[in-house]
Amino acid sequence: MSTTGTGPDTGPMGAGAPGAAAGAGTGAAGTDATRAEVCVVACAEAWRGDGEILAAAMGTCSILGARLARLTFEPGLLTTDGGALLTAEPVPIGAPAGPVEGWMPFRDHLWLVQNGRRHVMMGASQIDRYGNTNISAVGDWARPKSQLLGVRGAPGNTICNPTSYWIPRHSTRVFVPRVDVVSGVGHDRAAELGGRASRFHGLRRVVTDLGVFDFGTPDGSMRLVSVHPGVEVEQVVAATGFDLVIDGDVPQTRWPTDGELRLIRERLDPKGLRDTEVRP
Amino acid sequence: MATVVPLAEAVAELVRDGDSVAMEGFTHLIPYAAGHEIIRQGRRDLTLIRMTPDLVYDQLIGMGCARRLVFSWGGNPGVGSLHRFRDAVQNRWPAPLEIEEHSHAGIANAYVAGASGLPFAVLRGYRGTDLPSRTANIRPITCPFTGEELTAVPAINPDVAIVHAQRADRSGNVQLWGITGVQKEAVLAARRSLVTVEEIVEELEPRPGAVVLPGWAITRVSAAPGGSHPSYSAGYSVRDNAFYQAWDEISRDRETFLAWMGDHVLDRSATASEAGR
Repeated sequence: MSTTGTGPDTGPMGAGAPGAAAGAGTGAAGTDATRAEVCVVACAEAWRGDGEILAAAMGTCSILGARLARLTFEPGLLTTDGGALLTAEPVPIGAPAGPVEGWMPFRDHLWLVQNGRRHVMMGASQIDRYGNTNISAVGDWARPKSQLLGVRGAPGNTICNPTSYWIPRHSTRVFVPRVDVVSGVGHDRAAELGGRASRFHGLRRVVTDLGVFDFGTPDGSMRLVSVHPGVEVEQVVAATGFDLVIDGDVPQTRWPTDGELRLIRERLDPKGLRDTEVRP
Repeated sequence: MATVVPLAEAVAELVRDGDSVAMEGFTHLIPYAAGHEIIRQGRRDLTLIRMTPDLVYDQLIGMGCARRLVFSWGGNPGVGSLHRFRDAVQNRWPAPLEIEEHSHAGIANAYVAGASGLPFAVLRGYRGTDLPSRTANIRPITCPFTGEELTAVPAINPDVAIVHAQRADRSGNVQLWGITGVQKEAVLAARRSLVTVEEIVEELEPRPGAVVLPGWAITRVSAAPGGSHPSYSAGYSVRDNAFYQAWDEISRDRETFLAWMGDHVLDRSATASEAGR
């Protein structure tokens, strides 16, 4: 399966004309959107074209993105209450599940991961140019400077599921030349494993507070797809600790539509948690 | 058949220094009361196993009960890091803590292999990550049918599995429901097991989706009402979110942590009143 940028998820961003409201239904572009709201929509776009699979999300904007995608252009997605319940409708972040469509206790969740009908958007404490990620430890692994939370599902997710990343604070601390522990598999390592092992490996996109990235390059290294409104390409380059692939003029990430903004503000996140994750 | 005994007696009998102990639970039904009893009884050199260690393992580690941790994620859910866990790994306080890190699926499947009496579990994950370079317990294996290279992890057969459930009957049959983790797998994989329950009932009423652990697969059952606090037991209690947030402060500093453990865990009269809340 080709996942390096020719898939359905690159279309809307590739269109990229400022304020084009690409593919997101009715309404004029909401150019008064906050950076967090732009991020929510950019995260939502990760699931475009995925159909009836579980949209597993970590982080506020990512969770909001999954639910927004389901409410707009990707109605077949399965979304959760943030725990083990599949909800009949996308619910506001932090709210109880309401009517429940199904149960996803841990065993079933893991079966789903291994089956692959799941597109996960995870966080990463470090990520390199090929999309290798680290959520395990910073520093020497035997005696880490900083013991992180642990690899959790990353080793299985990245080899069994389409995977995207949401990184709320883009900086050279996160975007590093080399991650200290590979807990999520990147393109160079997947290529080394060969076809059979890497056939389900698919890094779709990386969304940060500055822009959108994919791996649509011949060697699977990271490419700048778009910069968010108000962000300069130089800013992204300066906040990235490796050479990004930049093809010509970089488009701007699309603004949310008015309809999307209403859904985010009034339905999914009335308390404005998104703005605490990405400050306006 | 499981026998129903007081918690302190069950822990004294089942958990020994140097044992591997799996205390499972996921989001709710986390066996805090049993963990606190292990701390009070001063067990040492334990290998703690759990898919998603949270505060109770932070407490066991900070109190010096553990030598080794087998896990896939260790954190304070919704809050942040486990400070005692990090202090043990980074600064070896109060004792060095060896860690064996797996993916969630790796641990879950290793329990299943253990419960099945098989020597190992097979996964597609792990390949391409750095984990196999760190432990001999993650190794490549070739599928005899397709030739695909996969990953094997050895079965986990804990010396003791401890879980918390809603109910048991007097014969030690246990029923648990709500969000389930890998409690059943851990208990069936273990050599000995202890289930703490909210209540002992005359008869277990069938419930859709409930997990039933038969008494013949369990060693001891102990009543521990409120024994999953600050997590919860669906149908019996609600999650004490404020405590999870408070733990971040309590556990950040060694002295504050020790003082809190002294007052709330080591002092039995205090714990008796806590259990009632």
